[in-house]
Amino acid sequence: MGEAQRDAEAMYNYPHFDNYVANGGDMADEAAFWASPRAGQRAPDFTLPRLGGPGVRLSDLWRSKPLVMEFGSFT
Amino acid sequence: MFIYTREAHPGENVPHHDSFERKLAGAELLREEAGIRRDILVDDLAGTVHRAYGLMPNMTWVIAQGGRIAYKADWTSAANVEAFLVRFLGGRGERPPGTTPVMYETQQIEFRYPDRKRFTDHLLRNGPLAVAEFEKAQKLWAQQGAT
Repeated sequence: MGEAQRDAEAMYNYPHFDNYVANGGDMADEAAFWASPRAGQRAPDFTLPRLGGPGVRLSDLWRSKPLVMEFGSFT
Repeated sequence: MFIYTREAHPGENVPHHDSFERKLAGAELLREEAGIRRDILVDDLAGTVHRAYGLMPNMTWVIAQGGRIAYKADWTSAANVEAFLVRFLGGRGERPPGTTPVMYETQQIEFRYPDRKRFTDHLLRNGPLAVAEFEKAQKLWAQQGAT
């Protein structure tokens, strides 16, 4: 794994929420949301591991019916 | 379907992810303690999928059959998602004959009763550090005029 990848992972998985806010991370996230693909455009497709099961390709889930995707974490 | 991203408020008990194994453990904890019965997919450690969809901590997207984005909200409101799905599917599970899809954007203000105790309990589950850092962040937002 390269240094750039490690840096990207470290920046994404911030250890301290207050520092993240102080550095504008929450504002950058909001901007990223509005810069993300718009309604009517094709959704980005990825394959992800599923807890307790085999990996899942998102396009396999929306191929035959609409897909509701909720993003989140414990908090 | 639920996509597990990153811990928005890491603490002593549920820290930030420094390995994929730790991230998997966080997803399993979420399934067990939050009682999520939907499939949980786990993003990679760099948040590749989360980045592609906009990085907000609690957002919902609806993808239409075939792969076009039908709905995106930077904060999940179950009532809004449900109301959208009822309209979008027209109660028939498919686009009503004779209709044309059009896109428009909405921003809205909602009034809701904040369940501070429940939220603080969640933060405490992650650890006292999560509570203290959220309080510091609130002061920062107040200084910025955001609250």
